[in-house]
Amino acid sequence: MRLVDRPWTAHQVRLTRLARPFMVAAVAIAAGLGLSAALPGYYVYLAISVIVAAVALLGLGIVSGSAGMIALCQLTFAAVGAWVVTGLNVAGAPGGFVLWLAAGGLVAGVVGLLVGLPALRLRGVNLAVVTLGLAAAVDVALVQVQFPGTTEGRFVDRPGPFGDDRSYFILCVLVLAACCLAVHFVQQGRWGSGWKSVAFSERGTAAAGGSVSSSKLTAFATSATLGGISGGLVVGQVGLALPASFTPIQSLALYVLAIMAGAYLIDMAIFGAVLWVAVPELLKRWGVPQDWGFVVFGVLGVQALTSGTNLGMIIRTALWRRSASKPVAPTVSDAAPSVSDAAPSVSDAAPTSDPAPHPSPAPARGSMVLEVDDLSMSFGHVQALRGVQLAVPEGAVVGLIGPNGAGKSTLVDVISGFLPRATGTVRLDGVSMAGRSPTRRARLGLRRTFQQDRVPPGLTVGAYVRYVARRRLAAEDIAEVLDFFGCPPERTRLADVDAGRRRLVEVAGHVLAQPRILLLDEPAAGLSHDEHLALAQRLRQAPARFGLSMLLIEHDLDLVRSVCDTITVLDFGEVLASGPQADVLADPAVLKAYMGETEML
Amino acid sequence: MLQGALAGLAAGGLYAVLGVCLTLMSRLVRVVNFAQAATGMFGTYVAVWLVSDAGLPIWPAVAVGVVIGGSISALIGIIIGTWLPEADTGSRSAVTVAVLLFLISLSFILFGNRPQPFRPVLSGPAFQVSGVVISQVAIFTVVVAVLVALSAHVVLTKTSVGIRLRALSERPTTAELVGIPARTLSVAVWATTGAVGTLVVAIVAPTQSNDATALSMLVVPAAAAALLGGFRRLDLAVVGGLVLGVLQGAAAQLSQLSVARHFLPFLFIVGLLVWSQRKEVWDAAR
Repeated sequence: MRLVDRPWTAHQVRLTRLARPFMVAAVAIAAGLGLSAALPGYYVYLAISVIVAAVALLGLGIVSGSAGMIALCQLTFAAVGAWVVTGLNVAGAPGGFVLWLAAGGLVAGVVGLLVGLPALRLRGVNLAVVTLGLAAAVDVALVQVQFPGTTEGRFVDRPGPFGDDRSYFILCVLVLAACCLAVHFVQQGRWGSGWKSVAFSERGTAAAGGSVSSSKLTAFATSATLGGISGGLVVGQVGLALPASFTPIQSLALYVLAIMAGAYLIDMAIFGAVLWVAVPELLKRWGVPQDWGFVVFGVLGVQALTSGTNLGMIIRTALWRRSASKPVAPTVSDAAPSVSDAAPSVSDAAPTSDPAPHPSPAPARGSMVLEVDDLSMSFGHVQALRGVQLAVPEGAVVGLIGPNGAGKSTLVDVISGFLPRATGTVRLDGVSMAGRSPTRRARLGLRRTFQQDRVPPGLTVGAYVRYVARRRLAAEDIAEVLDFFGCPPERTRLADVDAGRRRLVEVAGHVLAQPRILLLDEPAAGLSHDEHLALAQRLRQAPARFGLSMLLIEHDLDLVRSVCDTITVLDFGEVLASGPQADVLADPAVLKAYMGETEML
Repeated sequence: MLQGALAGLAAGGLYAVLGVCLTLMSRLVRVVNFAQAATGMFGTYVAVWLVSDAGLPIWPAVAVGVVIGGSISALIGIIIGTWLPEADTGSRSAVTVAVLLFLISLSFILFGNRPQPFRPVLSGPAFQVSGVVISQVAIFTVVVAVLVALSAHVVLTKTSVGIRLRALSERPTTAELVGIPARTLSVAVWATTGAVGTLVVAIVAPTQSNDATALSMLVVPAAAAALLGGFRRLDLAVVGGLVLGVLQGAAAQLSQLSVARHFLPFLFIVGLLVWSQRKEVWDAAR
């Protein structure tokens, strides 16, 4: 019943997911048409300012909200856009305003790439220093140089049908709608997942085969492009470009506003833009100096930054609570009960669950998928790993155990490429991994999970596993694997999933990537005992079912014993014993080292 | 050219002092304080107002300004220490961006947005060497920069307070558990850097373009200076500030570079970052 239903509903879901943004955009454009006719002239002008700010904030939302970086030069990119538009105007370039506007956005995007390039591997603070430096420099330089055509008073003409304020407002609405749609779909896609992933954990991103630098760079360049478009729109609004429209203080204020409003949400970017225009306007009307507006932004910004909340989050949580408390809420509460359903339904959904008492690895055992040879790693004077040797045959699940501090996680870090200073060789299918980044290794099929939570809470389960899998997946395949590992369904927000189960989602995502080998770093931490047993059963079936090999790092001997036929024991960074399960666990040295120190269940 | 370069020494000393302050804050309280120069600007403006409107003599006015600069800085420290005690450097620094915005706008309201009528505290040449003049301000800022860096180094390495401060910066929770008064110490760091920053801004400001924005944006060359030392080394921060000031002073002499010289700090920063970050680094310890 459920299986028959699923493809159809998935298809339907996808259709509404595609159609809904366009419907919203259509409604917004209609509202814009209404406003342009109904509003008094002065308000139309203000409304244009709102749209200009909204486009800039949309960009900032991406870079500061989704990708978690501090960028303080949004209006510098706007100035680039304005420069291109005025320059093309003075040069009498063909194409007219709309084309110039697009060119302005494009050039700003390229400038963003160039500025962002050194910021590739930087933490947020360094990017903030770079962008503030750029904003300050461009500000002083602009006053000295002036925009093309400003000193001669060469006004930029608005395009034919959009000559007066009212119709130019409509053009702005159309541009804004286009930008919002673009941002929406990009956010839903791979780039958007990459941004949210990189904001939460760079290591997690690299382990999923995503490139940390290109995620940051695309976020920064997209944001700059939107900034450029916003600058072009200002030129159309005012007719001239003036340096006073692009000062660093305004860039700072926009950044603070983006954080405060939660501009990574499209509606909140627009709401922020309304504040941007309305607050100084109201102050002016009340006879208060307009600079108080930024003072207020500063105070609210401190509040938002110290509390880690924003208006958008507060409003959404409130709405979500209200709809969740209602007895029949359409979307959210639908998803919620099935989370708890997922665990029991697993056993029916996994048809191949043969109750084999011992693991039966794939038949062809000749070749080694992963070979680790003479691996050593030291941190200062501490030798974390010393001459470690390890091999995982095709289709096998090898267990790696050892007491706390034995070097298990260091070994995983070295194999997955996060500790390039280590010596020794790591070979995947006979190919040396030396000199390859974690991202490269992940893409070649050497995948790992983390002991810590590296699953970005900003994504849904579906978006996350798609991002981690890095290949086109049918909804049915995703549902099947999620079900198999007892994960919540695709549409659940990861923020609503508990930590233990979030790590199962991580495992499911990496399995969907069809790697050659998957290193699991204590996947069972945070799960209940029953869930442990269920996971053990799944892991035992995984090689045959998904065609991968696994190295299982575990603390829980029960789990290792029921899943792995071969076990390697690590103690003080050295291999203490290695071989068939029964032999290793009977080895007196292992008993002494391992059981002497940790409690056995 | 040489005259220009030496004229840049005053600015260079200012960058160096602010760079040392930034380095200290980054090391000891895990913040890149974007409001560092703005705090100095605000304290300085108060001093200027006290002189021009309240008729105070210059030195007491500067003293009041320094106290105010230190207090503002301490207040930011208290806010960040209270609400973001364990947050990463990025989140803590972001708060100072909002403070920067707040201080600039507030100074517009209180003091207007025109350059202030400064009466220089120090003026005139200190001495002349074969026709090249070295100003008192230049001597003062360079000496202060070296002194601040040296005394910070001595305090950090030789005194028990310094050792506590270092423990605090590396393991805040552990330090607190072993009985180090974390809050008090970190607020003291904030207050000191705020006060020192205000003092140098008050003395150098009359020789600079001194509107609120320009003074607040001094944090950019200061950050460039701090970056040379990787936000860790005080001596390199001093060198970075002085080099940058001298370069800017020399560039100001060449009319072809009149626009390009504004980009010097920016290019300095980008160059340093590209160099220092050439190897891949990862965000969390594991």
